[in-house]
Amino acid sequence: MYFRKSIIAITGLFLCLFLIVHLSANSILVLPQEVARGLYNSYSTTLRESPFIKIVAYILYLSIVLHVIYALVVTVNNRKAKRKGYAVNRFRENSSWTSQNMGLLGITVLLFIVVHLANFWARIKLGLGEGVGLDSEGHVDVYKVTYSLFQNSYYVLFYSLLMIPLGLHLYHGLKSAFMTLGFYHKKGLRILAKVSLIYAGIMALGFGIIPIIVFFK
Amino acid sequence: MKVIFKIWRQENTNTKGNFQSYEVDELTEDMSFLEALDHLNEVLVTKNEKTIAYEYDCREGICGQCGVFINGRAHGPHDNMTTCQLHMRSFRDGETIVVEPWRASAFPIVKDLVVDRSSFDNIIEQGAYISAKTGTAPEANSILVRKEIVDKAMDAAACIGCGACVATCKNSSAALFTSAKINHLNSLPQGKQEASKRVLEMTKQMELEGFGSCTFTGACEVECPEGISIINIAEMNARRTKAKWIG
Ligand code: HEM
Ligand code: SF4
Ligand code: FES
Repeated sequence: MYFRKSIIAITGLFLCLFLIVHLSANSILVLPQEVARGLYNSYSTTLRESPFIKIVAYILYLSIVLHVIYALVVTVNNRKAKRKGYAVNRFRENSSWTSQNMGLLGITVLLFIVVHLANFWARIKLGLGEGVGLDSEGHVDVYKVTYSLFQNSYYVLFYSLLMIPLGLHLYHGLKSAFMTLGFYHKKGLRILAKVSLIYAGIMALGFGIIPIIVFFK
Repeated sequence: MKVIFKIWRQENTNTKGNFQSYEVDELTEDMSFLEALDHLNEVLVTKNEKTIAYEYDCREGICGQCGVFINGRAHGPHDNMTTCQLHMRSFRDGETIVVEPWRASAFPIVKDLVVDRSSFDNIIEQGAYISAKTGTAPEANSILVRKEIVDKAMDAAACIGCGACVATCKNSSAALFTSAKINHLNSLPQGKQEASKRVLEMTKQMELEGFGSCTFTGACEVECPEGISIINIAEMNARRTKAKWIG
């Protein structure tokens, strides 16, 4: 149980770190069309060509896979520890809904990740589906892929709404991961609770608003 | 005062149980919850029906025997309280009160509301004691312990082993209980010698007994009659990592 939970926590924290970098880069997308296109495409090309980023990317894939697998194993195991639940359970009076539903929130995030990878990663990296053109500087036009996706209001809705479960997952996950890994400083934990809220809020709001801004550009 | 008790009845571990409702009259608001159940049992005896099995001992919040799930909360509607400290004034006249046994795979039901908490004893046996012979109580000032450490150890030592933490936890995790025992002893000089062994063996036993893992929902610290903080669980995790990798 310790090994499994430590893996969930370590991979979870790594994913949290990744999200910061990812959001910072994506904020380019809200800039005016001409600036955003050149900047985003050259940034994306630099990333794709860097051997260091290649390694990081593999660690990232591995983290997602390990996080999901161990989360499922832990959740199934936890269910086994409580084979029968209560006829009446007022758990909302002693804990947050979020903390009670990390598995459900996680599955929702997984659904998002699958669609998200199919939209971008599969097209750009694997070359599946509709081909991706080059921009005027000869960079792969990732900006256009993003821009055209978010002209579809269903995708905007999907991308924005699913940032709510992500935010909730992160809010509880960040605090929990630190405690799982043995951080027990009393005052530090009070600060951590606030940091988790701010972090999760910025991530959910940031990722959630970008598709909407791009849609109305 | 009148209430309707909807109580889980189960003959033994292997039979299927079910809820049965009992209308109970002639209660007063000053009665404790257990007195209300006593009253119901007296009525059942006069009617020649099977009495309801439930546990208690001290009836003053110190023994940890009286755990039951009442209206969806461990030990009833209040935070940080045992069942024996609960009074009927916490319920409305005519209210239906649902009473269930602790639910956890590691706490099999013995009968009705009584569960077998031997799994806690098994964890205790893995090191919630010091094996040195200490003789009679030594002079208090011969071993100096910092005030903050004494306070922390005493807070953890307050655990009465009631099992509310396990009962309320969605994962039936025994992390709060186990961490209270470990941090109590491992904080004090007398417990230091066996500190690593204690944390490794007790956490291992906790796993073997079939308790789930901790998701830090925090439900346990709200239901714990002793108000033991979940920070203890984080500290236990730190102690375990240290014991495992450093020794
Ligand atoms: C961007 C993606 C994700 C991030 C940043 C993330 C982050 C985290 C963090 C930091 C934790 C806390 C670990 C702990 O309590 O020790 C956690 C827990 C958890 N995650 Fe994720 N997660 C992500 C995606 C997912 C996905 C796709 C699933 C799908 C099944 C998932 C399922 C879970 C579960 C079930 C837990 C709780 C485990 C427990 O019971 O304690 N997560 N996550
Ligand atoms: S930690 Fe609290 S809730 Fe758990 S057994 Fe001890 S006293 Fe009861
Ligand atoms: S009967 Fe002893 S704590 Fe309730």
